[in-house]
Amino acid sequence: MKIAGEQNLSASRDSVWELFNDPDRLSRLIPGCEKLEVLGPDEYGGTINVGIAAVKGVYSGKLKLEDKRAPEHYKISLDGKGKQGFIKGAGTLDLEAKGANETLVKYAGDVQIGGPLMQVGQRMIESASKMMLGQFFAAADAELKAHAVGQVARQGIFVNFWRWIVRVIASLFKRS
Amino acid sequence: MYPASFEYHRAASIKDALSMLKQFGDEAKLLAGGHSLIPMMKLRLAQPAHLIDIGSIKDLSMIREDGAVIDIGGLATHADVESSTAVKQKLAMLSECAALIGDVQVRNRGTIGGSLAHADPAADYPAAILALEAEIKVESESGARTIKGEDLFVDLMTTSIRSGEILTHVRIAPIPAGAGAAYLKYRQPASGFATVGVAAVVTMKGNNFDKVRLGVTGLAAKAFRAKAVESALSGKGRDAIASAASHAADGIDAMSDIHASAEFRAELARVYTARAIELAASRAKS
Repeated sequence: MKIAGEQNLSASRDSVWELFNDPDRLSRLIPGCEKLEVLGPDEYGGTINVGIAAVKGVYSGKLKLEDKRAPEHYKISLDGKGKQGFIKGAGTLDLEAKGANETLVKYAGDVQIGGPLMQVGQRMIESASKMMLGQFFAAADAELKAHAVGQVARQGIFVNFWRWIVRVIASLFKRS
Repeated sequence: MYPASFEYHRAASIKDALSMLKQFGDEAKLLAGGHSLIPMMKLRLAQPAHLIDIGSIKDLSMIREDGAVIDIGGLATHADVESSTAVKQKLAMLSECAALIGDVQVRNRGTIGGSLAHADPAADYPAAILALEAEIKVESESGARTIKGEDLFVDLMTTSIRSGEILTHVRIAPIPAGAGAAYLKYRQPASGFATVGVAAVVTMKGNNFDKVRLGVTGLAAKAFRAKAVESALSGKGRDAIASAASHAADGIDAMSDIHASAEFRAELARVYTARAIELAASRAKS
Protein backbone atom coordinates (compact mmCIF):
# COMPACT_ATOMS: atom_id res chain seq x y z
CA MET A 1 0.00 0.00 0.00
CA LYS A 2 1.41 3.37 -0.96
CA ILE A 3 1.25 6.17 1.57
CA ALA A 4 2.17 9.74 0.67
CA GLY A 5 1.27 13.14 1.95
CA GLU A 6 2.30 16.56 3.14
CA GLN A 7 1.71 18.30 6.40
CA ASN A 8 2.55 21.78 7.67
CA LEU A 9 4.06 22.07 11.12
CA SER A 10 4.40 25.40 12.93
CA ALA A 11 8.08 25.39 13.78
CA SER A 12 11.41 26.04 12.12
CA ARG A 13 12.94 23.26 10.04
CA ASP A 14 15.71 22.79 12.58
CA SER A 15 13.18 22.32 15.40
CA VAL A 16 11.24 19.79 13.36
CA TRP A 17 14.43 17.89 12.44
CA GLU A 18 15.40 17.88 16.11
CA LEU A 19 12.00 16.47 17.07
CA PHE A 20 12.04 13.75 14.42
CA ASN A 21 15.43 12.53 15.63
CA ASP A 22 14.64 12.46 19.33
CA PRO A 23 13.28 9.03 20.41
CA ASP A 24 11.98 10.28 23.76
CA ARG A 25 9.88 13.06 22.23
CA LEU A 26 8.87 10.93 19.24
CA SER A 27 7.55 8.16 21.46
CA ARG A 28 5.06 10.59 22.99
CA LEU A 29 3.71 11.50 19.54
CA ILE A 30 3.12 8.03 18.14
CA PRO A 31 -0.43 7.06 19.12
CA GLY A 32 -0.27 4.19 21.62
CA CYS A 33 3.52 4.14 21.79
CA GLU A 34 4.88 3.39 25.22
CA LYS A 35 8.58 3.87 24.71
CA LEU A 36 11.17 3.98 21.99
CA GLU A 37 14.41 2.39 23.12
CA VAL A 38 17.70 3.09 21.43
CA LEU A 39 18.99 -0.18 20.01
CA GLY A 40 21.89 1.30 18.13
CA PRO A 41 22.87 4.39 16.18
CA ASP A 42 19.62 5.59 14.52
CA GLU A 43 17.88 2.35 15.38
CA TYR A 44 14.96 2.29 17.80
CA GLY A 45 12.71 -0.44 19.14
CA GLY A 46 9.44 -0.27 21.00
CA THR A 47 5.87 -1.43 21.43
CA ILE A 48 2.73 0.30 20.21
CA ASN A 49 -0.81 -0.32 21.44
CA VAL A 50 -2.82 0.24 18.28
CA GLY A 51 -6.53 0.67 18.89
CA ILE A 52 -9.42 1.82 16.74
CA ALA A 53 -12.66 1.20 18.61
CA ALA A 54 -12.82 -2.52 19.44
CA VAL A 55 -9.89 -3.50 17.26
CA LYS A 56 -6.88 -3.40 19.54
CA GLY A 57 -3.48 -4.99 19.24
CA VAL A 58 0.04 -4.73 20.56
CA TYR A 59 2.78 -4.52 18.02
CA SER A 60 6.47 -4.67 18.78
CA GLY A 61 8.87 -3.42 16.20
CA LYS A 62 12.05 -1.78 15.04
CA LEU A 63 12.50 1.57 13.38
CA LYS A 64 15.66 2.44 11.48
CA LEU A 65 16.72 5.83 10.14
CA GLU A 66 19.15 5.90 7.23
CA ASP A 67 20.53 8.19 4.53
CA LYS A 68 20.35 11.12 6.89
CA ARG A 69 20.91 14.55 5.34
CA ALA A 70 20.34 16.98 8.19
CA PRO A 71 18.08 18.92 8.44
CA GLU A 72 16.10 17.96 5.37
CA HIS A 73 15.87 14.23 4.65
CA TYR A 74 16.03 10.73 5.96
CA LYS A 75 14.85 7.27 5.01
CA ILE A 76 12.77 5.24 7.49
CA SER A 77 12.38 1.49 7.55
CA LEU A 78 9.90 -0.15 9.86
CA ASP A 79 9.39 -3.78 10.87
CA GLY A 80 6.58 -4.60 13.29
CA LYS A 81 4.94 -7.81 14.45
CA GLY A 82 1.86 -8.49 16.51
CA LYS A 83 -0.57 -11.34 17.18
CA GLN A 84 -2.87 -10.06 14.46
CA GLY A 85 -0.31 -9.65 11.75
CA PHE A 86 2.79 -7.85 10.69
CA ILE A 87 3.66 -4.45 9.26
CA LYS A 88 6.70 -3.78 7.09
CA GLY A 89 7.40 -0.42 5.61
CA ALA A 90 9.98 1.81 4.01
CA GLY A 91 9.69 5.45 3.19
CA THR A 92 11.28 8.86 3.06
CA LEU A 93 10.77 12.01 5.05
CA ASP A 94 11.62 15.41 3.58
CA LEU A 95 11.49 18.72 5.40
CA GLU A 96 11.09 21.98 3.50
CA ALA A 97 11.48 25.32 5.27
CA LYS A 98 8.46 27.50 4.51
CA GLY A 99 9.25 30.30 6.92
CA ALA A 100 10.90 31.05 10.22
CA ASN A 101 8.17 29.12 12.00
CA GLU A 102 6.76 26.90 9.33
CA THR A 103 7.99 23.67 7.86
CA LEU A 104 6.41 21.47 5.23
CA VAL A 105 6.83 17.79 6.01
CA LYS A 106 6.62 15.53 2.97
CA TYR A 107 6.35 11.80 3.51
CA ALA A 108 6.15 8.97 1.01
CA GLY A 109 6.45 5.25 1.40
CA ASP A 110 5.30 1.74 0.86
CA VAL A 111 3.74 -0.33 3.63
CA GLN A 112 3.03 -4.07 3.54
CA ILE A 113 0.56 -5.51 5.98
CA GLY A 114 -0.10 -9.18 6.43
CA GLY A 115 -1.75 -11.75 8.63
CA PRO A 116 -5.36 -11.85 9.90
CA LEU A 117 -5.41 -8.07 10.17
CA MET A 118 -4.84 -7.84 6.44
CA GLN A 119 -7.25 -10.59 5.43
CA VAL A 120 -10.13 -9.15 7.37
CA GLY A 121 -9.37 -5.50 7.89
CA GLN A 122 -7.90 -4.73 4.47
CA ARG A 123 -10.75 -2.44 3.55
CA MET A 124 -9.98 -0.23 6.53
CA ILE A 125 -6.19 -0.31 6.64
CA GLU A 126 -5.76 2.81 4.56
CA SER A 127 -8.35 4.83 6.51
CA ALA A 128 -6.89 3.61 9.79
CA SER A 129 -3.36 4.61 8.70
CA LYS A 130 -4.60 8.06 7.69
CA MET A 131 -6.30 8.44 11.05
CA MET A 132 -3.11 7.52 12.92
CA LEU A 133 -0.96 9.81 10.76
CA GLY A 134 -3.44 12.61 11.48
CA GLN A 135 -3.11 11.97 15.22
CA PHE A 136 0.69 11.83 14.92
CA PHE A 137 0.97 15.19 13.12
CA ALA A 138 -1.51 16.89 15.46
CA ALA A 139 0.55 15.69 18.43
CA ALA A 140 3.79 16.79 16.68
CA ASP A 141 2.38 20.28 16.10
CA ALA A 142 1.29 20.57 19.75
CA GLU A 143 4.67 19.29 20.98
CA LEU A 144 6.57 21.77 18.78
CA LYS A 145 4.45 24.69 20.04
CA ALA A 146 4.87 23.63 23.69
CA HIS A 147 8.61 23.13 23.22
CA ALA A 148 8.93 26.62 21.70
CA VAL A 149 7.04 28.18 24.62
CA GLY A 150 9.38 26.34 27.01
CA GLN A 151 12.41 27.71 25.18
CA VAL A 152 11.09 31.28 25.17
CA ALA A 153 10.45 31.01 28.90
CA ARG A 154 14.00 29.77 29.44
CA GLN A 155 15.38 32.55 27.20
CA GLY A 156 13.26 35.09 29.07
CA ILE A 157 14.78 34.07 32.39
CA PHE A 158 18.31 34.26 30.97
CA VAL A 159 17.77 37.64 29.33
CA ASN A 160 16.33 39.09 32.51
CA PHE A 161 19.22 37.74 34.58
CA TRP A 162 21.70 39.29 32.13
CA ARG A 163 19.91 42.63 32.29
CA TRP A 164 20.01 42.48 36.07
CA ILE A 165 23.80 41.91 36.03
CA VAL A 166 24.24 44.85 33.64
CA ARG A 167 22.15 47.06 35.96
CA VAL A 168 24.22 46.00 38.97
CA ILE A 169 27.52 46.73 37.22
CA ALA A 170 26.19 50.06 35.87
CA SER A 171 25.05 51.07 39.34
CA LEU A 172 28.52 50.24 40.70
CA PHE A 173 30.10 52.58 38.14
CA LYS A 174 27.58 55.34 38.87
CA ARG A 175 28.59 55.56 42.50
CA SER A 176 32.22 56.22 41.79
CA MET B 1 -10.50 -19.28 14.63
CA TYR B 2 -12.43 -19.25 17.85
CA PRO B 3 -12.38 -16.19 20.08
CA ALA B 4 -9.78 -15.60 22.76
CA SER B 5 -10.99 -16.44 26.27
CA PHE B 6 -13.51 -14.06 27.76
CA GLU B 7 -15.98 -13.81 30.64
CA TYR B 8 -19.65 -13.69 29.61
CA HIS B 9 -22.09 -11.59 31.59
CA ARG B 10 -25.80 -11.18 30.92
CA ALA B 11 -27.25 -7.80 31.86
CA ALA B 12 -30.86 -7.87 33.09
CA SER B 13 -31.38 -4.14 32.66
CA ILE B 14 -29.64 -1.00 31.45
CA LYS B 15 -28.69 -0.17 35.03
CA ASP B 16 -27.11 -3.59 35.34
CA ALA B 17 -25.22 -3.15 32.09
CA LEU B 18 -23.98 0.31 33.09
CA SER B 19 -22.62 -0.90 36.41
CA MET B 20 -20.85 -3.79 34.68
CA LEU B 21 -19.37 -1.38 32.14
CA LYS B 22 -18.07 0.73 35.02
CA GLN B 23 -16.70 -2.31 36.79
CA PHE B 24 -14.77 -3.73 33.85
CA GLY B 25 -13.81 -0.48 32.12
CA ASP B 26 -12.23 -0.85 28.70
CA GLU B 27 -11.74 -4.56 29.14
CA ALA B 28 -15.46 -4.91 28.39
CA LYS B 29 -17.53 -4.78 25.20
CA LEU B 30 -21.29 -4.67 24.93
CA LEU B 31 -22.90 -7.48 22.93
CA ALA B 32 -26.17 -6.74 21.16
CA GLY B 33 -26.82 -8.74 17.98
CA GLY B 34 -23.17 -9.69 17.73
CA HIS B 35 -22.98 -9.56 13.97
CA SER B 36 -20.20 -7.00 13.94
CA LEU B 37 -18.47 -7.96 17.18
CA ILE B 38 -18.47 -11.77 17.08
CA PRO B 39 -16.83 -12.06 13.63
CA MET B 40 -14.10 -9.69 14.88
CA MET B 41 -13.67 -11.77 18.01
CA LYS B 42 -13.44 -14.97 16.00
CA LEU B 43 -10.61 -13.44 14.03
CA ARG B 44 -9.14 -12.16 17.28
CA LEU B 45 -9.11 -8.59 16.00
CA ALA B 46 -11.11 -7.71 19.09
CA GLN B 47 -10.30 -9.51 22.32
CA PRO B 48 -12.45 -8.07 25.08
CA ALA B 49 -11.86 -9.81 28.39
CA HIS B 50 -15.52 -9.30 29.33
CA LEU B 51 -18.63 -9.47 27.15
CA ILE B 52 -21.74 -7.78 28.51
CA ASP B 53 -24.76 -9.22 26.73
CA ILE B 54 -27.57 -6.66 26.63
CA GLY B 55 -29.56 -8.64 24.04
CA SER B 56 -32.26 -9.74 26.44
CA ILE B 57 -33.23 -6.33 27.78
CA LYS B 58 -36.85 -6.32 26.61
CA ASP B 59 -37.78 -2.63 26.61
CA LEU B 60 -34.87 -1.74 24.35
CA SER B 61 -36.22 -3.49 21.29
CA MET B 62 -39.54 -1.65 20.99
CA ILE B 63 -40.44 0.61 18.08
CA ARG B 64 -43.20 3.05 18.94
CA GLU B 65 -44.61 6.48 18.22
CA ASP B 66 -43.76 8.90 20.99
CA GLY B 67 -45.71 12.06 20.31
CA ALA B 68 -44.38 13.61 17.13
CA VAL B 69 -41.42 11.27 16.89
CA ILE B 70 -40.78 7.60 16.05
CA ASP B 71 -38.77 6.06 18.88
CA ILE B 72 -36.72 3.02 17.86
CA GLY B 73 -35.12 1.04 20.67
CA GLY B 74 -31.41 0.35 20.24
CA LEU B 75 -31.99 -3.41 20.26
CA ALA B 76 -34.54 -3.37 17.41
CA THR B 77 -33.23 -5.74 14.77
CA HIS B 78 -32.90 -4.70 11.14
CA ALA B 79 -35.80 -7.07 10.41
CA ASP B 80 -37.87 -5.27 13.09
CA VAL B 81 -37.12 -1.88 11.54
CA GLU B 82 -37.88 -3.20 8.05
CA SER B 83 -41.27 -4.64 9.00
CA SER B 84 -42.49 -2.13 11.59
CA THR B 85 -45.81 -0.52 10.60
CA ALA B 86 -44.86 2.82 12.13
CA VAL B 87 -41.57 2.87 10.20
CA LYS B 88 -43.16 1.76 6.91
CA GLN B 89 -45.83 4.44 7.17
CA LYS B 90 -43.80 7.39 8.43
CA LEU B 91 -40.13 6.56 7.72
CA ALA B 92 -40.45 4.39 4.62
CA MET B 93 -36.89 5.11 3.48
CA LEU B 94 -35.51 3.68 6.74
CA SER B 95 -37.44 0.46 6.15
CA GLU B 96 -36.03 0.39 2.61
CA CYS B 97 -32.53 0.89 3.99
CA ALA B 98 -32.87 -1.85 6.63
CA ALA B 99 -34.16 -4.28 4.00
CA LEU B 100 -30.89 -3.90 2.07
CA ILE B 101 -28.57 -4.69 4.99
CA GLY B 102 -26.48 -7.87 4.71
CA ASP B 103 -28.68 -10.92 4.42
CA VAL B 104 -31.67 -12.47 6.20
CA GLN B 105 -29.60 -13.95 9.02
CA VAL B 106 -27.85 -10.64 9.67
CA ARG B 107 -31.15 -8.75 9.59
CA ASN B 108 -32.72 -11.15 12.10
CA ARG B 109 -29.95 -10.68 14.66
CA GLY B 110 -28.18 -7.38 13.96
CA THR B 111 -29.50 -4.33 15.82
CA ILE B 112 -29.74 -0.68 14.87
CA GLY B 113 -28.03 0.42 18.10
CA GLY B 114 -25.17 -2.00 17.63
CA SER B 115 -24.71 -1.02 14.00
CA LEU B 116 -24.67 2.72 14.77
CA ALA B 117 -22.30 2.36 17.72
CA HIS B 118 -19.95 0.20 15.62
CA ALA B 119 -19.88 2.88 12.88
CA ASP B 120 -18.51 0.70 10.11
CA PRO B 121 -17.63 3.08 7.25
CA ALA B 122 -19.58 0.87 4.81
CA ALA B 123 -22.70 0.38 6.94
CA ASP B 124 -26.09 1.37 5.50
CA TYR B 125 -27.88 3.03 8.43
CA PRO B 126 -25.54 6.03 8.83
CA ALA B 127 -26.60 7.50 5.46
CA ALA B 128 -30.30 7.24 6.43
CA ILE B 129 -29.70 8.55 9.96
CA LEU B 130 -28.01 11.65 8.55
CA ALA B 131 -30.58 12.32 5.82
CA LEU B 132 -33.44 11.86 8.31
CA GLU B 133 -31.71 14.11 10.90
CA ALA B 134 -32.24 11.51 13.61
CA GLU B 135 -31.35 11.97 17.27
CA ILE B 136 -29.56 9.34 19.28
CA LYS B 137 -30.22 8.89 22.98
CA VAL B 138 -27.46 7.44 25.14
CA GLU B 139 -27.57 6.55 28.83
CA SER B 140 -24.82 6.48 31.40
CA GLU B 141 -24.60 6.28 35.17
CA SER B 142 -24.84 10.09 35.32
CA GLY B 143 -28.02 10.24 33.25
CA ALA B 144 -29.12 10.39 29.65
CA ARG B 145 -28.05 12.70 26.85
CA THR B 146 -29.06 13.25 23.24
CA ILE B 147 -26.58 13.21 20.36
CA LYS B 148 -27.65 14.83 17.09
CA GLY B 149 -27.23 12.46 14.15
CA GLU B 150 -24.81 14.85 12.46
CA ASP B 151 -22.56 14.76 15.56
CA LEU B 152 -22.57 10.99 15.98
CA PHE B 153 -20.00 9.89 13.42
CA VAL B 154 -16.57 11.24 14.26
CA ASP B 155 -14.06 9.11 12.33
CA LEU B 156 -13.37 5.56 11.19
CA MET B 157 -15.41 3.30 13.49
CA THR B 158 -15.43 6.11 16.03
CA THR B 159 -18.57 7.78 17.37
CA SER B 160 -19.13 10.50 19.93
CA ILE B 161 -20.53 7.90 22.34
CA ARG B 162 -18.26 7.99 25.37
CA SER B 163 -17.01 4.98 27.29
CA GLY B 164 -19.51 4.08 29.99
CA GLU B 165 -22.44 5.11 27.74
CA ILE B 166 -24.98 2.84 26.08
CA LEU B 167 -26.99 3.80 22.98
CA THR B 168 -30.61 3.19 23.99
CA HIS B 169 -32.90 4.92 21.47
CA VAL B 170 -32.93 6.35 17.96
CA ARG B 171 -35.55 9.08 17.64
CA ILE B 172 -36.62 10.29 14.22
CA ALA B 173 -39.24 12.80 13.13
CA PRO B 174 -41.50 11.39 10.39
CA ILE B 175 -40.62 12.23 6.79
CA PRO B 176 -42.72 15.35 6.02
CA ALA B 177 -45.95 14.67 4.13
CA GLY B 178 -45.33 15.30 0.44
CA ALA B 179 -41.58 14.74 0.74
CA GLY B 180 -39.93 11.99 -1.28
CA ALA B 181 -37.17 9.76 0.06
CA ALA B 182 -34.98 6.95 -1.23
CA TYR B 183 -31.95 4.88 -0.29
CA LEU B 184 -29.81 3.37 -3.05
CA LYS B 185 -26.52 1.54 -2.76
CA TYR B 186 -23.83 -0.20 -4.76
CA ARG B 187 -23.75 -3.52 -3.00
CA GLN B 188 -20.44 -5.31 -2.42
CA PRO B 189 -21.43 -8.72 -3.83
CA ALA B 190 -19.94 -10.91 -1.11
CA SER B 191 -20.54 -9.00 2.12
CA GLY B 192 -23.54 -6.90 1.13
CA PHE B 193 -21.85 -3.82 2.58
CA ALA B 194 -22.38 -0.50 0.83
CA THR B 195 -19.32 0.21 -1.31
CA VAL B 196 -21.25 3.47 -1.61
CA GLY B 197 -24.79 4.19 -0.34
CA VAL B 198 -26.81 7.38 -0.67
CA ALA B 199 -29.96 8.33 1.27
CA ALA B 200 -32.02 11.26 -0.02
CA VAL B 201 -34.98 13.13 1.48
CA VAL B 202 -36.38 15.89 -0.75
CA THR B 203 -39.27 18.32 -0.57
CA MET B 204 -40.41 20.12 -3.71
CA LYS B 205 -41.99 23.53 -4.20
CA GLY B 206 -43.73 23.37 -7.54
CA ASN B 207 -41.20 21.83 -9.88
CA ASN B 208 -38.19 23.03 -7.93
CA PHE B 209 -36.31 21.53 -5.00
CA ASP B 210 -37.14 23.18 -1.71
CA LYS B 211 -35.21 21.21 0.90
CA VAL B 212 -32.73 18.42 0.11
CA ARG B 213 -30.99 16.23 2.68
CA LEU B 214 -28.39 13.72 1.50
CA GLY B 215 -26.50 11.16 3.56
CA VAL B 216 -23.56 9.36 1.95
CA THR B 217 -21.95 6.21 3.35
CA GLY B 218 -19.16 3.97 2.11
CA LEU B 219 -17.19 6.75 0.44
CA ALA B 220 -15.19 8.14 3.35
CA ALA B 221 -13.98 6.88 6.74
CA LYS B 222 -17.27 8.16 8.17
CA ALA B 223 -20.72 8.86 6.69
CA PHE B 224 -21.44 12.52 5.90
CA ARG B 225 -24.10 14.95 4.64
CA ALA B 226 -23.37 16.03 1.06
CA LYS B 227 -24.04 19.69 1.80
CA ALA B 228 -22.41 20.95 -1.43
CA VAL B 229 -24.93 18.95 -3.47
CA GLU B 230 -27.81 20.03 -1.22
CA SER B 231 -27.15 23.74 -1.70
CA ALA B 232 -26.53 23.30 -5.44
CA LEU B 233 -30.08 21.95 -5.77
CA SER B 234 -31.95 24.42 -3.61
CA GLY B 235 -34.48 26.34 -5.73
CA LYS B 236 -33.46 24.51 -8.90
CA GLY B 237 -35.40 22.05 -11.04
CA ARG B 238 -34.77 18.39 -11.76
CA ASP B 239 -32.52 19.25 -14.69
CA ALA B 240 -29.96 20.50 -12.14
CA ILE B 241 -29.56 17.04 -10.57
CA ALA B 242 -26.70 15.85 -12.79
CA SER B 243 -24.51 18.89 -12.25
CA ALA B 244 -25.33 19.09 -8.52
CA ALA B 245 -24.54 15.39 -8.01
CA SER B 246 -21.14 15.90 -9.64
CA HIS B 247 -20.09 17.57 -6.35
CA ALA B 248 -20.94 14.52 -4.24
CA ALA B 249 -17.30 13.59 -3.58
CA ASP B 250 -15.88 17.14 -3.45
CA GLY B 251 -13.36 17.65 -0.71
CA ILE B 252 -13.81 14.10 0.54
CA ASP B 253 -10.85 11.79 1.20
CA ALA B 254 -12.30 8.70 -0.47
CA MET B 255 -11.33 5.27 0.84
CA SER B 256 -9.37 2.89 -1.34
CA ASP B 257 -9.26 -0.88 -0.82
CA ILE B 258 -9.48 -4.19 -2.68
CA HIS B 259 -13.19 -3.64 -3.38
CA ALA B 260 -12.85 -0.24 -5.04
CA SER B 261 -10.25 2.42 -5.70
CA ALA B 262 -10.82 5.93 -4.38
CA GLU B 263 -11.55 7.15 -7.92
CA PHE B 264 -14.14 4.44 -8.50
CA ARG B 265 -15.79 5.14 -5.14
CA ALA B 266 -15.97 8.85 -5.93
CA GLU B 267 -17.61 8.09 -9.28
CA LEU B 268 -20.05 5.67 -7.59
CA ALA B 269 -20.93 8.42 -5.13
CA ARG B 270 -21.70 10.86 -7.95
CA VAL B 271 -23.81 8.33 -9.87
CA TYR B 272 -25.75 7.04 -6.87
CA THR B 273 -26.34 10.56 -5.53
CA ALA B 274 -27.95 11.51 -8.82
CA ARG B 275 -30.05 8.32 -8.89
CA ALA B 276 -31.17 8.66 -5.25
CA ILE B 277 -32.23 12.29 -5.77
CA GLU B 278 -34.10 11.35 -8.97
CA LEU B 279 -35.95 8.54 -7.23
CA ALA B 280 -36.75 10.66 -4.18
CA ALA B 281 -37.95 13.54 -6.36
CA SER B 282 -40.21 11.21 -8.36
CA ARG B 283 -41.78 10.06 -5.09
CA ALA B 284 -42.34 13.62 -3.83
CA LYS B 285 -45.57 15.51 -4.30
CA SER B 286 -45.05 19.11 -5.39
